[in-house]
Amino acid sequence: MDLALIIESAVKVLVVLGFTCVSVILIVWMERKVLGHMQDRIGPERVGPFGILQTVADGIKLFMKEDLVPKQADKVLFFVAPGLSIVTALVAMSVIPWGDSVELFGRTIMLHVTDVNVAVLFLLGTTSMGVYGIVLGGWSSNSKYPLLGGLRSSAQMISYELAQGIAIVPIIMLTGTLSLAEIGRAQAKMWFVIPQFFGFVIYIICAVAETNRAPFDLAEAESELVAGFHTEFSSMKFALYFLSEYANMMVVSGVAITCFLGAWNGPVLPGPVWFLLKLGFFIFCYIWLRATFPRLRYDQLMSLGWKVLLPASLLNMAVTAVVLVMKG
Amino acid sequence: MLETILFAFFALTAIFCALGVVFHKNPVHCALLLVGVLLSLSGLFILLSAQFIAALQVIVYAGAIMVLFLFVLMLLNFRQDPDVLTPGAAKGFGFLFGLLVMVELLWTALSPNGGEGGGLPAAPPLPADFGSPAAIGKILYTTWLFPFEITSILLLVAVVGAVVLAKRKFA
Repeated sequence: MDLALIIESAVKVLVVLGFTCVSVILIVWMERKVLGHMQDRIGPERVGPFGILQTVADGIKLFMKEDLVPKQADKVLFFVAPGLSIVTALVAMSVIPWGDSVELFGRTIMLHVTDVNVAVLFLLGTTSMGVYGIVLGGWSSNSKYPLLGGLRSSAQMISYELAQGIAIVPIIMLTGTLSLAEIGRAQAKMWFVIPQFFGFVIYIICAVAETNRAPFDLAEAESELVAGFHTEFSSMKFALYFLSEYANMMVVSGVAITCFLGAWNGPVLPGPVWFLLKLGFFIFCYIWLRATFPRLRYDQLMSLGWKVLLPASLLNMAVTAVVLVMKG
Repeated sequence: MLETILFAFFALTAIFCALGVVFHKNPVHCALLLVGVLLSLSGLFILLSAQFIAALQVIVYAGAIMVLFLFVLMLLNFRQDPDVLTPGAAKGFGFLFGLLVMVELLWTALSPNGGEGGGLPAAPPLPADFGSPAAIGKILYTTWLFPFEITSILLLVAVVGAVVLAKRKFA
């Protein structure tokens, strides 16, 4: 193994990690600002220009807070659970391609940390491992509301994972590959949102539910469950959960862009810029949804997942298969 | 060299986690250690260039099945189980069968003429696309189509059974 490869990988890992953490800061600020304006308020404006340093101030505040651990908590798991959550979110970021390859210092550098040939499955695997961070956070607190919140949101994530995974299957059938970079390259002429519109809609709904965001944020329904699985977490442990929620939003948006919205492809501007623009648009839609829709009831959520989205995604897959076979 | 180090890492993690599953007092911790075993096995699968199986191992076993295990353990809420190693007959049989399996494995691995064909056969060279989803799919839907369909029907029966049990009114 040559030294240049090691340096290249290390740089890419650091860039992706750094980018993820910094953009979470920006996304939180953007969320508060956009929500504020949508509700006819100004939003944060005191810290820095346009209040852009508000999240940094909040982060420092969280850092200085006392780290409370409930007396009856399972000490080891209470410590491990937030870490599990953030690790799975950050690991998933590593397979998302930011652009096509570039030539730099005489080397062809691919714009993703790694392109395993089963990248789509790798993503599904990491998201299914992400459930542990939440369910263990809820259980290890040894307190009523966190346990209920943890069970709720993990049941929700498991249910929507199915339809989410199956919604991507037609893309794999169209391209014949499980590598996200190849899927991105296949969309140079046409974005897959056109032939796979239903798949796209199903994926988006599932993605919002998967990240426990409004209108599917039942895990942290304040009026019923205080704050759900992270009720007992304070200080940096809470910050880690917060970070992983936003990192997960970026992961599912990244997958949606790569699989349906033409990945980094776009006219004039270079690939990574297009990718970032699309990512920003997705995050804006997340916030828009939060400002618009009321929260679903739990039974509505479950019946939507199992009785509507799952059959619809299966039907979409079957129809795509038949069409592909008929076209030869 | 790197492969040996990774193998040692995954194998040792698997063994330590497996010992933890047996000896840990808290059932939830046991379940998590079992997840650890499954993850290290998935690492070993990758070393054997079976990425597809490795991914499925994580998605199906570590991701889906163990979460359901955890649900049941958490809702039953037995925090401590003092009788992890059941005394008496069960313990004796456990050790006996464990010993038998170990002797058998060692005998096959160590003896030059163990088994039928003489020790462990040398591994045949792998085809280029070995372990890829396409290769596995091809084999699964041609050579092993019949067993595959039978397994699918078995799983369907299990699903229907679960629904019937869940619908039955106990009262």
